[in-house]
Amino acid sequence: MLPLTNLRRWRRVLPGIALLGLAGCNLIEFSPNDHRVPEEFTNLTEKNLAKLQARPLAAGDSLRFIFTGDSQQFYDEAEALVASVNQQPGISFLVVAGDISDFGLAREMQWVDEKLRRLTVPYVTVIGNHDLVGNGRPTYQHIFGAFNYSFVYGNTKFIMVDTNGREYNFDGTAPDMAWLKPQLANFDGARRQVVISHVPPTNDDFDPALRAPYVQALHEAPNLVFEMNGHNHSYSITQPYNDGVTYVNSDAFSERHYLVVTVWGDKQFRIKRVKF
Amino acid sequence: MKKLLLSALLLVAGVPAFATPPDTAAVRIPPAARRVERPWYRPAHLALQTGGGLGMVAAGAGYEFSKTHLETDILIGYVPKYYAGSTLSLASLKFMYSPFHLPVGDKFQVVPLTVGAYFSYTHGTINDELKGQYASDYYWFSTDTRYGPLLGSRVTFLAPPVAATGQPRKISLYYELGSNDLYLASYLNNRNGGLGFGQLLTLALGIKADF
Repeated sequence: MLPLTNLRRWRRVLPGIALLGLAGCNLIEFSPNDHRVPEEFTNLTEKNLAKLQARPLAAGDSLRFIFTGDSQQFYDEAEALVASVNQQPGISFLVVAGDISDFGLAREMQWVDEKLRRLTVPYVTVIGNHDLVGNGRPTYQHIFGAFNYSFVYGNTKFIMVDTNGREYNFDGTAPDMAWLKPQLANFDGARRQVVISHVPPTNDDFDPALRAPYVQALHEAPNLVFEMNGHNHSYSITQPYNDGVTYVNSDAFSERHYLVVTVWGDKQFRIKRVKF
Repeated sequence: MKKLLLSALLLVAGVPAFATPPDTAAVRIPPAARRVERPWYRPAHLALQTGGGLGMVAAGAGYEFSKTHLETDILIGYVPKYYAGSTLSLASLKFMYSPFHLPVGDKFQVVPLTVGAYFSYTHGTINDELKGQYASDYYWFSTDTRYGPLLGSRVTFLAPPVAATGQPRKISLYYELGSNDLYLASYLNNRNGGLGFGQLLTLALGIKADF
């Protein structure tokens, strides 16, 4: 029989052992492709949009947000970016234009969120080709959410669309034009539109069969401010199709620059590139 | 190890094999010597584990070399669709080196340190590369092939040997901390502490039975 003092000692130690056990459960990884993560790392798009909608932009205020992309393996840079963005006044949210992860793995997406949740503003993402590698599809779905979605903030409708055609072996499903067209036709109460995706239509990784319909749909959009992409790891503002549609490309985290984007009026905008 | 076990058993049985000179007319054959010669392909143990990136459940067999200091385990693992989005089957090969086997009483043994490496191949991932889908150097890493280091220890229960053959039996419980090439690459690419070492670790828990 155990002496009473021993029992007391065990009572003190047991919660610690239970805690270790819980941590152990998270460590027991079935496969790097398994997407079990703690609940706090799931449904992040929905959670971050709820946070954003809880802080509506005052009527008449210009909309200002941070645009960046391709966080991938750049965790050191992610820390520096968060520290810098947290110094920016008057911003509403941050956008990562795809390639949150490098290998489409749950742990990576969790690691990036652990950095970006330290932002003083919410962040949203669109899926990138690296997020679709292996079992990235269900993993991104579980951790972030929908591949195609839209939201309205500050009089602007943001349309986030999966354009990673190569990951579907150019099967004609990405971008999903049947989803995109009605999204562009409807303002949902906003006065202007912004389309954000990962692979730009000028890139070889965009489904060649969908390039013309996509470019045409953007051209015909009733009040598109610009189309924004990642993937190139290189900042640019161009009108590659000379059709009046502006395409903005973000720097990757690795380039240690982000864009401060201000939008006002009908569809006026200003873009400032910031080094961090 | 086997010698130690044998002498322990002889002492327990009170056999005066070493105390008296052998009688050539009636040589007592020690149990180990009676063991049927094992075919080379017969595994030394069976193993069952969870985690370590090798399956929710992974089962297989293993071989021992160099007086059980070196081991190779071959495991087949399974991850249900619910946890990975598709049903995954994994084939894994583990190589382990355990320099110390410490006896604890007659019935137990502690192996405080096992170091090793594994290699695994995953079948059933969703976006598996199709022919011509990517240029050859499009992604520098493999989606399905993983490898990484292992570090663990184990406790072994020494069961009485099989009476008929003298075959020693052991049951071991083990844990292994590990990681994989992709987690390690992520860590090494962030030299300013962007990732903590603890964030790379995986844990496996398992049981091994020698037979």
